Amino acid sequence: MSKHKKPLKAVLHGMDARLQRNMLLYFQNVCEDALVVVSDAEAEIDMVDIDSSEGQNILKQLQSEDFNRPLVVLSRNEVDLDNILFILKPISLKKVLSTFDRLRFLVDRQKSKKEITQIPVEKKATNGNILLNLKDKVSDSKSVLEIRTDIVAKEVPSEDNNALIDNDEIKKVSKHKTAQQLNENRFASFIGMMMDIDFNDEAQLADSSYSPRDYYQGYVLATFKVAKTKGRVLQLNSSWKPLLIFPRSNEVWLDADDQQLRAFSSVELNKATGVKLSVSAASTELQDIKQKLECFYDMDAFIWKLAIWTSRGRYPEIIDVKRPVFLLRWPNFTRSIITPHALRMTALLVHEPKTMLSIAEGLRIKPQYVFAFISGAYALGLVRQPMKTTKEEDEVVVSRPVAISAKKKGLLSRILSRLRS
Amino acid sequence: MSQYKIIFTGPVGAGKTTAIDSISDIVPIKTDAMASDMTKKRKSETTVAMDYGILNLSNGEKIHLYGTPGQERFDFMWDILTIGGIGLVLLLDNTRADPFQDMKFFLDSFSEFITNTTVVIGVTQMDLSYKPTIEEYHTQLQYLGLKPAIFAVDARVKSDVSILVQALLYSLDPGLNHNE
Repeated sequence: MSKHKKPLKAVLHGMDARLQRNMLLYFQNVCEDALVVVSDAEAEIDMVDIDSSEGQNILKQLQSEDFNRPLVVLSRNEVDLDNILFILKPISLKKVLSTFDRLRFLVDRQKSKKEITQIPVEKKATNGNILLNLKDKVSDSKSVLEIRTDIVAKEVPSEDNNALIDNDEIKKVSKHKTAQQLNENRFASFIGMMMDIDFNDEAQLADSSYSPRDYYQGYVLATFKVAKTKGRVLQLNSSWKPLLIFPRSNEVWLDADDQQLRAFSSVELNKATGVKLSVSAASTELQDIKQKLECFYDMDAFIWKLAIWTSRGRYPEIIDVKRPVFLLRWPNFTRSIITPHALRMTALLVHEPKTMLSIAEGLRIKPQYVFAFISGAYALGLVRQPMKTTKEEDEVVVSRPVAISAKKKGLLSRILSRLRS
Repeated sequence: MSQYKIIFTGPVGAGKTTAIDSISDIVPIKTDAMASDMTKKRKSETTVAMDYGILNLSNGEKIHLYGTPGQERFDFMWDILTIGGIGLVLLLDNTRADPFQDMKFFLDSFSEFITNTTVVIGVTQMDLSYKPTIEEYHTQLQYLGLKPAIFAVDARVKSDVSILVQALLYSLDPGLNHNE
């Protein structure tokens, strides 16, 4: 019996009996049955050895058949074939397995186009919800909110839940909606109210931080982390609206508009009475979800937005305002709210660490914009603080080391104005 | 007057022509022909020389937008097109068999130009195929020692293409200010 739940079904071409036998042994023993060889009628993919005498002809023939199935080519020479997966011989296990992953995705997608998968109705949790325990500190992870996952009941396998997602991706309009690019004026109305801080006052500066774990943001992040670790769809319940987290597709489902979410995200839940949150297996009826596909959001875009609303121009308390920060990578800005100066700050911080106040000073912008931006990036796990502070890191540098002439700088600024007009 | 260009590249069907169309101030000049080879499986017409659009700036300057032909047999044109280029916009089609292979191929083909300028990457068709994810692209780029901006893009949507090009400009100089 196959060790894989869903082995790829392949038909082999251009291989003599001996090579076929060797390949079979390799797939069985080394790849742990990630691929099984079947007849042409049953096959999901075609695999061709183009080094054989007939290999090139077979490839041409398969290509002329309009690519009914995903095709993977084996060769001892590097080849560059349009829209065909390629494995170089001698075969490396890492490459083979990554190619199989991609093939599995392509096969599943092809299937989902052909048929509407029957989705089982999820079972409700039977042994109650789990209260979130927020005693532990949040960190990037230095510690996490504790959720007693040991009693999360009857979770539905992620594959079943994701069948829905695979079929209806294109209908998730919120998930693929283009980003809003906010200027300073629009940001003020977007965020509702921004903390007004005198940054020359040390006490006020210290007060301009917040603890994500005191807010809805903290609960969402903690639940997402558990869902990701367990590979399960989880539901975060509150006196407000249920939030479903789909870890495999990195999505959330929430039937609420932005105003409602903004209002709820600004409430300090640990201080508010009567607000209880719990995590359970997904109990919202799939029929409800299917009817409201516009309620699906990309997880990163959702967390980003939630963190910015929670921040209201403050920074996460775990970040030391006196030490430089840097970004691991660019956020996906076409699908996230672009806060004022976010593109500039990212371009700066992916190249070199800066303190938050030196960024504000260097770019001549309000620190609140930096704090809101860092809050969003921190919630996505993109912010790091190096341990050592050097004089060089504290210097205000707002340009890349590549010298840009004043003339060219003027030109680039005019292109920017044109694009933003 | 200097000729400033922004270059759009990527495989067949990634949306280069459409992206230029989205932000150009003129109706783009296209050099399409009926596809007659493997390309026809993805689209009926394809760019055989280049696409061309213009961004008009407030002081009368023009920024030329060039789209390279996606088919590799036209790669002899790529070096010529990049002369005077400000930077590279690489568009990748997420529904293709191996988008990572496409990405590596184009980053390698334009490596000299990228070293001298910069690159941003737009991934199209993510509403049809959500995998690979943007995060997975970043992981691949990490192996290549690169940290460019990489966004999900609908080439038909002006703001998507605009944000991608803005990221290109800020990557050249984070100190830029659009109000200047």
